[in-house]
Amino acid sequence: MSKKPVKGEYIETDTGNKVSRRSQIIGTTNIILGGKTVIQAEVIIRGDLLRTYPASNPSDKQGNTVAVAIGRYCFFSRGCELRPPGKLYKGQFSHYPLKIADHVFVGPSSIIEAALIGSHVNIGANVVVGKFAIIKDYVRILDGSVVPPNMVIPSFSVVAGRPARVVGEIAEGELDGMDLREVYRGVGNA
Amino acid sequence: MSSKRASTMPAPPKPPTSLASSLTIAEHASLTGTHLITLGSNTVVHPRAKFSSAHAPITVGSNCIICERSSIGFQSEASPNERQGVVIQNDVVIEVGAVVEAKTVGEGTVIEVQAKIGKGAVLGKHCKIGPQCEIVEGETVPDFTVVYGNGMRRLDNSGVEDLKLKMVARQIEVLKRLIPSNPAKFQ
Repeated sequence: MSKKPVKGEYIETDTGNKVSRRSQIIGTTNIILGGKTVIQAEVIIRGDLLRTYPASNPSDKQGNTVAVAIGRYCFFSRGCELRPPGKLYKGQFSHYPLKIADHVFVGPSSIIEAALIGSHVNIGANVVVGKFAIIKDYVRILDGSVVPPNMVIPSFSVVAGRPARVVGEIAEGELDGMDLREVYRGVGNA
Repeated sequence: MSSKRASTMPAPPKPPTSLASSLTIAEHASLTGTHLITLGSNTVVHPRAKFSSAHAPITVGSNCIICERSSIGFQSEASPNERQGVVIQNDVVIEVGAVVEAKTVGEGTVIEVQAKIGKGAVLGKHCKIGPQCEIVEGETVPDFTVVYGNGMRRLDNSGVEDLKLKMVARQIEVLKRLIPSNPAKFQ
């Protein structure tokens, strides 16, 4: 396997996303990246699990084609997975979009099936976020946690355990450390 | 390490397979090994699911959902009483990253994210193995058992298993529409 031309590991898009050539992104047309997001090797993003239940608002047809929406300066570590959650609603099974805001860090081998993740959320390694969990802004989820389905995690919480519980609060001094701009700049082909 | 995707690498020899006609199997699923792999009707195999029949055969019933990164099949030599390999009965859901080396997985059982089922374990019907839970080698888990948290257990006697089976069937209907199937690649 030495015959490959000298190419960097990351493909950089016009909006500054750095996507590893070894990521496993399925259903690319249904994924929105806000820009400056890093996707490392072996990350799976399931864009093919689209919403099949008709939208309640008929004018909102375009929303139908987004399965995963990601904001700016997010970082997805090696081997993590983003998967739109699915449930039975009014007798019909459907997946629902997975929305991720800005400055969200996801550690290696974590599996995310949340409905909504706010800004400045730090998710550790080997975390399982259950279906339809809602994580608000400035939350830290420690390594190895299992966030149960439908859990709502309030802002400024530290969460850990199996099943996960709120175990503390984010100190004010930590807030600056949750900005991922520096981390983004450190990733590249150089 | 090659920067190419795994699918473009030279394919390992294909194992013998017996695939039902109504099976949905994604192109990026991987079937390896030398023993027979049987996949039943209406079963859905997500991309990047791994079946390895290097040591013993694998039999999957109908109406099952096998999610990505899950790994089905023995990873070491089978003992004489495990010759029939991994048998997964009907309506079983195996979620992301689960490792299943069980001898039998009973009907309607759900194996959640990153759970590990040890070699030769026997799971009863309508069990639920929670995220990251482990069942040790050779263990027998009775019907309706729920394993959760740090290996805690209880019995689920809510009696809603028929509803759960219906839900799996609905989910399969949707997945069949969303996942392009390519059984020809594995035959």
